[in-house]
Amino acid sequence: MLELIGTHYSYFAYVALVGIGLYAVIESSNLVKKLIGLNIFQVGIFLFFITGGYITGGVPPRVAEGGGPYVSPLPQVLILTAIVVGVSLTAVGLALIVRIYEEYGTLDEKVLSEAQINE
Amino acid sequence: MSTEEIDPTKEVNRIYVESTIIMTTVRLVVPFVFAYGLFVMFHGADSAGGGFQGGVIVAASILLVGFAFGIDATRIWISELLTRMAIVTGGTIFVLIGIGSVLNGGAFLDYSAYGLDKTGIKYIIEIIELAIGAIVSGVLIGLFFTLAKGDMRSGEDEQKSAESGQDQEATS
Amino acid sequence: MSETLALLVALPVLTALVPVVLGRIWQRAGWTVAFVGTVLHLALVVQLARAIRVEGTVSYAVGNFAPPIGIELVGDWISATLVGLVSIITLIVLIFERDRNDSSDAFYSELLLLTAGLSGIFVTGDLFNLYVFLEITGLATYALVATNPSPRAAVASLKYLLVGTIGASLYLLGVGYLYISTGTLNMADLSQQLAEVGYTSPLILTGFVLIMIGLGVKTALFPLHTWQPDAYTESSDSVTVHIAALVSTAAAYAIFRVTFAVFTPSFASAVPVALDALTIAALLSIILGSVFAIMQTNLKRMLAYSSVSQFGLVIVGVSVINETALVGSLVHLVGHAVMKAGLFIAIGGLSIVAGGYELEDMRGIAQRAPILSAGFAVLAFALVGVPPAVGFVGKWNIVLGAINSGDWIVAVVVVTSTLLTLAYFARVIERMYFNSPINIDQTAATDGGQARPSVPFQTRALVSILAFASVSFGLVAIQFIAAITPIVGGYLT
Repeated sequence: MLELIGTHYSYFAYVALVGIGLYAVIESSNLVKKLIGLNIFQVGIFLFFITGGYITGGVPPRVAEGGGPYVSPLPQVLILTAIVVGVSLTAVGLALIVRIYEEYGTLDEKVLSEAQINE
Repeated sequence: MSTEEIDPTKEVNRIYVESTIIMTTVRLVVPFVFAYGLFVMFHGADSAGGGFQGGVIVAASILLVGFAFGIDATRIWISELLTRMAIVTGGTIFVLIGIGSVLNGGAFLDYSAYGLDKTGIKYIIEIIELAIGAIVSGVLIGLFFTLAKGDMRSGEDEQKSAESGQDQEATS
Repeated sequence: MSETLALLVALPVLTALVPVVLGRIWQRAGWTVAFVGTVLHLALVVQLARAIRVEGTVSYAVGNFAPPIGIELVGDWISATLVGLVSIITLIVLIFERDRNDSSDAFYSELLLLTAGLSGIFVTGDLFNLYVFLEITGLATYALVATNPSPRAAVASLKYLLVGTIGASLYLLGVGYLYISTGTLNMADLSQQLAEVGYTSPLILTGFVLIMIGLGVKTALFPLHTWQPDAYTESSDSVTVHIAALVSTAAAYAIFRVTFAVFTPSFASAVPVALDALTIAALLSIILGSVFAIMQTNLKRMLAYSSVSQFGLVIVGVSVINETALVGSLVHLVGHAVMKAGLFIAIGGLSIVAGGYELEDMRGIAQRAPILSAGFAVLAFALVGVPPAVGFVGKWNIVLGAINSGDWIVAVVVVTSTLLTLAYFARVIERMYFNSPINIDQTAATDGGQARPSVPFQTRALVSILAFASVSFGLVAIQFIAAITPIVGGYLT
């Protein structure tokens, strides 16, 4: 068991990050913390992809680098695209949160739902 | 770049401390960070780097200026028109290069359709990386300053309504 | 020329950039640019249809990198019809929206970006490309829902953002699992590689489950539908028309593509539990969506829950793995988009006359807005499944397919859903036609002697056109079925 953790520690980290992120989205009452939890969740998924694409002793995929196992550039590019998507989503989410704060004066989810019921 | 003025008599609900250390450091560091961002943009074809990473570094250098010298001042200096033009120019170059290769008889974004040799293709890739970098930095800078402006607006409303003795209510 | 596939996505992106610049110079720029861009998009779809008629299924490699290394775009009759639906509904939304409110140029850019994303979902042949377009669609939708100035719209959009992003990230995780086990992302290539890896491998099963959960969030199946009622109710009417007709349709099409093109029906025979779970979720959506709809008083909310139920129908047709049922699902996918768009436009027009979206506001409104009420009634009965409207054709084929493969529970539930759909529509139609108006004098008084608010001509024209279309599509559905049956048969062998 310990040997499993020793060699696959990145996968344990990915599971931990995804779990923490999801818990933060569900459990926090502050909207900004929910968005932070979403970011942590996405970072965990990126970690999974990158760990999957890691080759021990690999070289960049250029012919000039010589022999040796070439690292596939595909996971890196996938994660780059996903990071861009995540950044834009965070930006839109933050703009919405600023607007909600201007309209309602609170960022707490429970107070927000009461304010909406009493509207 | 813009005709908007900062009214020095208006109280802003934000604490901005003018710190000489930060201002001097930023003044020294920002040109190099900006140049490094451009360097990363150019080297996307050969090594780690590319449009997105370079664009984020360029945007970060502008945000450094904002933190050191005041967000309102920096927002007015980087006028909204500049960020819009950056986004539009970058996007148009990207799509036009793609459509250009279609017109030349190849597939969309098929660099070999331009009939250039290997170095020519490398230059086209770098132009596309620059375009992506322009879009990314324009979007990030524009979004940061739009959010900052929105935040200030609620601060001023609090001041006004506190002065007139009303409760803070949803304004819309 | 098969470059139309790539241009279908690139052109709306290019035109989305224009209102950002021109909006400063020319006030009406946004609407005109969006209109011209959508007309060009429709022209490209016609071009694509001509190419498909000549060559059969069209495929295209972006950047001339041959698949499976490069990104492949695929067009067949099903995706061509759906991309055409995107153009037509965007045109309808633009016409509907023209005189209603002063939308900023950001609205038109976001609408064009949404068109690009939706076209991408329908034409792509690569799983990761599907994720990118899914997220582009999502981003544009979150921004469009938030353009409504009311504060509740911002909360609804944020809720949609949180739930939708988690769904899309789970989809990405599922794609990652599939990529790690096979090494390829191309849909056609994956179908062979997955068979070689073996369908019972835990990696593949987990990948399937994660992808279905992610796409289920975007389609709003029960219990992942919670974002939909708020998003539909709080957005402005033109936005609701667009997203109700198209966004969930794209996600449902993605479920169909992934289940049939990537995980072929052999997967269903190897691991029946996976598709049974999907069937159960779809059946629950059908029943509970209709039950929730019956409980609503706000008309837009009621139609949102009705969407949950209708997409449950579509997914149940996909998950019984039967040719007739699948054909019925695809017909219902197209027909539902047309009918829902018409219903939401009718409600948009009726709310101007009635002064609100509540059920009680619609009392006796048939006297004041006869064309809109008649259009609403025709579309409602089409959705219930009265022959020869297109809603009947879709449901009939699904029930037939379910009975053919021995799924009696599915057949019974689909027939029951017809009764439940009738229940919540009959309430509205009864209020409209058979109750006397209670506040007609109040509207005259509070308006200061003004005549009753008039509905713009476009709204009435659009509702009539869509009502007519929903009936006539049922009549021409035979041709559509004849066109798509070979494609569906190809997936099922």
